[in-house]
Parts: sequence; C-alpha cells; structure tokens
Amino acid sequence: MNEITLEDLHGYLDEALSESETARIERALRNSLSLRQVLRGVMLERDRGEHTVGAIWRRHRLSCPTREQLGSYLLKVLDEGLQDYIRFHLDTIGCSYCQANLTDLQSRQREPAAATQARRKKLFQSSAGLLRSR
Amino acid sequence: MASTSADSDRLLVQQIRRGDATAWDRLIERYEGRLLAFVERRLHDRSAGEDVVQETFIGFLNSLPNFDETRDLQTYLFTIAAHKLTDYLRRIGRHPLQNLPEGQEFLEQQVDSQPGVSSIARSKEREQLETDAVVKVLSHMINEWKAAGEFTRVKVLELLFVKGWANKDVAAFLSIKEQQVANIRFAAVRKMGENMKDSGLPEEVFPGLKRQA
Repeated sequence: MNEITLEDLHGYLDEALSESETARIERALRNSLSLRQVLRGVMLERDRGEHTVGAIWRRHRLSCPTREQLGSYLLKVLDEGLQDYIRFHLDTIGCSYCQANLTDLQSRQREPAAATQARRKKLFQSSAGLLRSR
Repeated sequence: MASTSADSDRLLVQQIRRGDATAWDRLIERYEGRLLAFVERRLHDRSAGEDVVQETFIGFLNSLPNFDETRDLQTYLFTIAAHKLTDYLRRIGRHPLQNLPEGQEFLEQQVDSQPGVSSIARSKEREQLETDAVVKVLSHMINEWKAAGEFTRVKVLELLFVKGWANKDVAAFLSIKEQQVANIRFAAVRKMGENMKDSGLPEEVFPGLKRQA
C-alpha cells in the first residue's frame, strides 16, 4: 500500500521504520504541504501525551521475534509458518529493531574480530568511569 | 514473557548497579552490535554511528538509578538510541524536519508546546495505565496465536494497528475475507475495552480504533 498512514508518521517520529520506509516518508513530506500539516498535528498530539495502540505495540515490541528466532531465521531452520511470519515482520512491517538485530547477526560472521574488539574497548573506556554503585 | 535472556540481562543490570566493570563490559559486548546497526541505518557513517552508540551507553548508565528491571533491557536501549539519534541529527542540521520548508517552525513549536510540570506528571501516569492495559491484552493474544501457529491473525492485527491499514487493504494483502479482518479487529478492540474498564479507565481511550474500522 502506498498511502502514508498516521501510524507511518508515528513510526517515523519514533525511528521505528525501515530505511526505505523512512526515505519514502521524507520524500513525501518534502513534496506535500498537506502531509506536513498532518505531521504537525501528530507531533502536537504526542506533545499532549496522546498515544496510539500502534505506538505502544512498536515501543514494547509486542510481536518481535526473539534474537534466537532471528538467528534460526537466518539459518532457515524454523517451521514454515514462523519463517514466513518473521519475513513479514521484517519486510512488510519493516521493524527497524529486528532489522538491526538481523544485520548484527550477519555482520558478526563477517567482521574481523580485531575490529569488533577495538570498538568495544573504546566504548568501555569511554563509559566505565561512570560506573559506581547505583 | 520471561526468558533466559531476560533473566541474564536482569542479573547483568544488578551487577552493574554494584559497579561491576566486567558486567558492564559484557553488556556492551551483548548490545553494541545491534545498536550500531540501528543507528547506522539512518546515518550511513560508521564513526558517527559509534559516537551515537557511545552516547546511548552513557545515557543508560546515567538513567540506571531509575531503570525498572522488569522492563526489557533491549527495548530500553533501543529507545535511548532512538532519542540520541534524533538529538544527533538535529545537532548536525540533518534532522528531517529541519530540511522542510516549515521545519524550523515545527521544531520550535515542539519546544514551545511543552505542557506544565503538573500536567506532564498527570498525563504520564494515565499514559502508563493505558499502556499497561494494551500491552497486557495484546501480548497475551499475540503469544497465544504464535504458539498455536495462527500467524495470519497476528499479521492482521499488526497491519491494522502498527501500519494503520484499513480492513479492506489488510484483507486484500493477506488474501482473506474482509469480514475475517473485521472479526479479528472487533475481538481485539473488545478485549482492550474490557481491560481498560477493569483498570478504571474509560473504554474509549483510543477512539482511533473504531474510526479506522
């Protein structure tokens, strides 16, 4: 479906959409004054503390597969029903959190261990100073 | 849904709260890859992505005294990362709204329209009650359907609520009858309404649910 829904705009503001969906919405926003007005309305509603079932679903990741299931999805060892559902969740829903997990699982097999270790060491060193009994 | 992974995360958080550096190192090892993938999807810049992930971990440590251990850690970290990502895009002038004709006005309006402290506190409490009621009903339904292999039902609700599609579009996409879609929506809305009522909330908290039908 090509129409941009209110839920698409909520997902866009939550950074919960796929890369291609985000790009599609930004293109549409640039070209449509009426869509920008709708977005303005959505932002004002959110500022007032209003929310939607869809926003709650996304934020709490109610239907997201587990990371273990995503790993099995990559290996194509799941039951057909679950394999198909995860494909739907990733491609049709475009869940950015699950896409990130999938990308990470794939890159763990490719990225040189030394590069990963160096990055983690930097992250640790830049934050460990904040550790104290909390 | 309790899981080994959630239990392991809870234990890590408890150790980090005691200042355990090894536990902190393990948390970074567990989550940095997926957080980096999440922010790189928008930034397409490894160095900037690493900066945002670094800010996410620092943000997590700063918010740790208020972190509720019953919350899902991964979801919490993604939420912080999304905020840090938005902040970063604004800082470098790449936030999408800044590039729209009325973008600056949008952003200023967001700042100007913040409600007073007392109304924030009141609405946050109410928002949490509503959220809890929706999460309770939907997670129960979704988990039951997944366990029974009834994935079409999950897809129907996800397209209706998460994507905001109309019944007829969902039916056409999934090659099922529109009446089936309407029935699944009706059952979910009714259960949410009942739960709202049980929680002392008005049943019509989400008027959009009926409007979309």
